[in-house]
Formats: sequence, C-alpha cells, structure tokens
Amino acid sequence: MTVVIGFEGSANKIGVGIISDGEVLSNPRRTYITPPGQGFMPSDTARHHRAVILTVLKEALEQAGLKPADIDCVAYTKGPGMGAPLVTVAIVARTVAQLWGKPLLGVNHCIGHIEMGRLITKSNNPTVLYVSGGNTQVIAYLERRYRIFGETIDIAVGNCLDRFARVIKISNDPSPGYNIEQMAKKGTRYVELPYTVKGMDVSFSGILSFIEEAANKMLSSGQCTAEDLCFSLQETVFAMLVETTERAMAHCGSQEVLIVGGVGCNQRLQEMMGVMCKERGAKLFATDERFCIDNGAMIAQAGWEMFRTGRVTELEDSWITQRYRTDEVEVTWRD
Amino acid sequence: MATETNPETGKLEFFLDVPFPSSREATIALRSLSPDREPRRGGISKQLSVSGSTLSVRWSADEARILRVSVNSFLDHLSLVVETMEDFGPPVDL
Repeated sequence: MTVVIGFEGSANKIGVGIISDGEVLSNPRRTYITPPGQGFMPSDTARHHRAVILTVLKEALEQAGLKPADIDCVAYTKGPGMGAPLVTVAIVARTVAQLWGKPLLGVNHCIGHIEMGRLITKSNNPTVLYVSGGNTQVIAYLERRYRIFGETIDIAVGNCLDRFARVIKISNDPSPGYNIEQMAKKGTRYVELPYTVKGMDVSFSGILSFIEEAANKMLSSGQCTAEDLCFSLQETVFAMLVETTERAMAHCGSQEVLIVGGVGCNQRLQEMMGVMCKERGAKLFATDERFCIDNGAMIAQAGWEMFRTGRVTELEDSWITQRYRTDEVEVTWRD
Repeated sequence: MATETNPETGKLEFFLDVPFPSSREATIALRSLSPDREPRRGGISKQLSVSGSTLSVRWSADEARILRVSVNSFLDHLSLVVETMEDFGPPVDL
C-alpha cells in the first residue's frame, strides 16, 4: 500500500488530499473569494493560503484517520501557477516532509488534473480537454508525454469567463463560472460574438474585449439581458472547445474524451461535448466539482503514480515555477 | 538586526539571526526556505546559513524598496515554517 499526501495552492484554492492506492481518503479545500468586480491578486491569495493551510492539513489527516507516520510521500504543486501562493504551499510541504522524514515530490499541476480525471472516470486513453482559469489545452498521450495538440494563444477560457463576470459584477461566490452557468440557463437571445479558432488553437482575448466593450451599452439600452450575454458567451467559447477537441480526436483516432479543470464541471460544456461524442460514437468522461476544481487529491494522485515509478524531488531542486508546460514531464507510469 | 550601507560596494545590507530549539530544526528551516531563489536580475541577493541552532540570513540590495519587499516576504515564510513545526513537529528520529 502506498499513501501519498498532496498539497495544491497554485491559484485561489488551497487543498490538501490523501490518496491510498487509488482511494481518496480525504480532500479538504478552501477558496479565496473576492468581492464582485475583483479578481484575486497573488499576494492576497498567498496571505489567504498562509492563514488556512495548517488547518486544512489537520483536516486532511483527521478525515483520513492517519498519522504522519502512515504517509509514504509528500507531493506538492511545483507549477504552473501564481508564484506567491505556490511558494507558500511548497514551504509547508517541504517542512512537513522533513519533520516526518518522508520523500518530497514536485508535481505538474496539469498532470494532476489529467491523472485525477483518469482515476475517477476510469477512462483508458482519452483525448483530454483541460479547461480552467489559467489553462486551456487539448491534450493526447503519445510515447511517454502528454502532448499538447492545441491550446489558447492568449488567455484561458476560464479567465475570459471570470473577467466577463467582473465587467457585469457577477458574484465570485462560489465561483464566477458557476454563476454565469446558472444565469445562462435563463438566456433566450443569442448575441453574436467573435468565434476564434486558428487551426488547432483557440483565442479568447478578442471575445473578451468585444463583450467588455459592448456589454454595458447593450444592457443599458435594453438590447439584451445579462442572462443573454452569459448564454451567448458560453455557447460561443464552448463551441470553439468542442470543435478543436473533435479535430484532435480525428487526428488520433481516439474514441474517448476526458474533460478536466475548473471549467470542466460546467454542465453545458459537458452537454455540448456529449452531443459531439454521440455523433462520433465516442465516449465522454467528466467529473464533478470535487475533482474538476483544483484540489489536493489530484496532486496526491499524480504524485502516487510518479512515486511508484521511483521519482522523488530533492529539497534543493524543489523550487516552484510559474511556467511549467504539460509536455515537459516524462510520463514514466504509462506504456 | 541592522541595515547598513556597505562602504565598499555601496549596497544596502541586512542581517538577521533566528534562534531555533536545535540545529536539526534550524537546518529544516534552512532547507525549506532556500530552494526558491531571488530573481536573478532583481538587484538583490540573499544568503542563508546555519551555525549551531541559529539560522542566519544576509541580504545585499541596490535599493531599500527591494530589500524591504524581500525581508517582509522572508519573515512571512519564516513564521509559516515555525508554525508548521509547532503544529506538526517535533522532527522524527532519522
């Protein structure tokens, strides 16, 4: 039996999770929520994480019913993400690893999402759509790498949604994306927005600029409602994602799609992807907000896979990095 | 603890000594706090060392503003290490 504890805090969520051979023993999490109209800044987010991380760690151990001695490896997010929150979490991981005399392991955040999705859905070799506030990538596994087939050439899809929410002052509680999704259900009119797919890549900054410019004018003149804008934005950006995912599947001859990342728990995105999969005779895999949204268990799970193939990170090599591409990691745990 | 301008280099220098219960804990703090380097062209350098049960930090910076940011951030990280030790220590026997 191999037990791995994972620390995640690369953005506004702080989570600690414990995995024992594919079983999630605990996965507590806290979210730093800012007032409507405001995003989360690195230093404030780091302060939030500092204030709660030790409480979350205690909860993780208590809920799992484990003592530090039962743990085999301490995994933490090495990157990518915001520097200040990453350092905060890495410092606690390094300290407990030394206090408990356990090996440390730095994990790529994107790999964490993919491995958690594979574990929960039991999908075998899926084409992965990784969509969150910081990342938008279409990924396929080939010869020991998760290869990036297509990605955003500017901002992430979740960043586009979050910043749109700020423009029209949608609440960030529990998350801007969730609130946009609920409002979109009441939208009736489709407002045409720029649709930007460039080969295998997508772009969202133009859509954001367009809607930032137009939103308040259209709303004050009664041309459309906030709900219509939420609906139109979702339909447009999700269509772009489904299109590029489908093309990647055609290239790879893949019959499975796995959606991971915070935006991945959006039911409308899952529904649209489901329609495409059905037409191709493919299977769609997705998880709910417990595992889609950043959490500690996903870092523990990727760490578990890595640790089982003998990987560890020496303390002097345990620096965090804001940029860390998915395809930089050699996947030693898959054929 | 003191900030001084080094007459030879013209740089601002700051020294900090932090006592720990034992050299083991001082070394753990050193190894938890050293991996993340200061920005390469940030106009600041920071050196950590342990002597006995004391962690010593030595900064050298071009500007007071940069020095203040680095020292502040270090103190935040140091207090997190100390709190972690209080809640999850003492270190196991190796």
